[in-house]
Amino acid sequence: MDANRRKIEVMANLLSSNDIQAQVNRTHFRRNNCLAINVIGSPGAGKTSLLEKTLPLLLTDVHVGVIEGDIFTSKDADRIAVHEVPVIQINTGGGCHLDSKMVSRVLPEFNWEATDLMIIENVGNLVCPADFDLGEAFKVIVLSIVEGDDKPSKYPVIFRNAKAVVLNKMDLEAFTDVNMENMKQDILAINPAIQIFKVSCRNGNGLEVWTSWLSQEVKSYQENKV
Amino acid sequence: MHEMSLMGGVFEVIERTLSQYEIRRVLQVKLKVGELTNAEPDALQMVFEAFCKDTICEGAELIVERVRVRGRCRNCELEFSVKSMFFLCPKCQNTSIEVIEGEELLIESLEVE
Repeated sequence: MDANRRKIEVMANLLSSNDIQAQVNRTHFRRNNCLAINVIGSPGAGKTSLLEKTLPLLLTDVHVGVIEGDIFTSKDADRIAVHEVPVIQINTGGGCHLDSKMVSRVLPEFNWEATDLMIIENVGNLVCPADFDLGEAFKVIVLSIVEGDDKPSKYPVIFRNAKAVVLNKMDLEAFTDVNMENMKQDILAINPAIQIFKVSCRNGNGLEVWTSWLSQEVKSYQENKV
Repeated sequence: MHEMSLMGGVFEVIERTLSQYEIRRVLQVKLKVGELTNAEPDALQMVFEAFCKDTICEGAELIVERVRVRGRCRNCELEFSVKSMFFLCPKCQNTSIEVIEGEELLIESLEVE
């Protein structure tokens, strides 16, 4: 054993620089009375489709801004821009998640006097984004039922840390072997407080329930209840 | 592979520590990683080696200690080990459980010379 060998106790958080910036972002959203949500789901779950369908229903009384996270393209931002909503694309250039610094860099691009809700669509991934706080008020998962009812128990971290899950592609239920009861039980075992919404972005079912819940969350936040 | 970003955090801490002590070589890095995180020990091991190359850490050993999930019941305050991510108090069946261990992403210690 080398006599010079010694141990230094460190006990430092690996995410401390991300968490510090996330806290700065959170203060920014609070000061501007803007509810920020972090939307997370697998590639193809329907995150952008949900936004496209949600925006027209929300826009009557809520001013929305959108941050789109994507590895390379601006396809999602282009789809959102059609709705005449301020949208900024972040390309992670290979990165599998957004982090709080990437979000903070684009915040000056928005008009904060006219933004009640900031929707941050993360990179399509159920794993990595779960560990990175962006400064949002809460996380929303989009899970399409065709991904299988085993997904909540396979990806518990994100389900534990989200406030709501939107189960999309309900119109395909009859064409799959998905067991909706198992899926629901697993989600609630991991997170009994989570809100579950069943929607179909294709035929529009369930979107009003989800959207009115989200509008209510914006109001509660702005009245300082959350 | 967000373990790359996490390892960036490890090396930020190492660099900060190096500036406070006189260190010739880092021999061992010990992490504590909760099971309620998505950090994968094998992936951490792989990116650690890549980060160490041509630095004061080259050849260092990475030890990843996994931390089991423990919860505390918000009703009866029982502390228990959460199995299979099933958040239910074994005593009073309450489902409102506070996580007290298992979310760690920490660098615990360094061994140096």
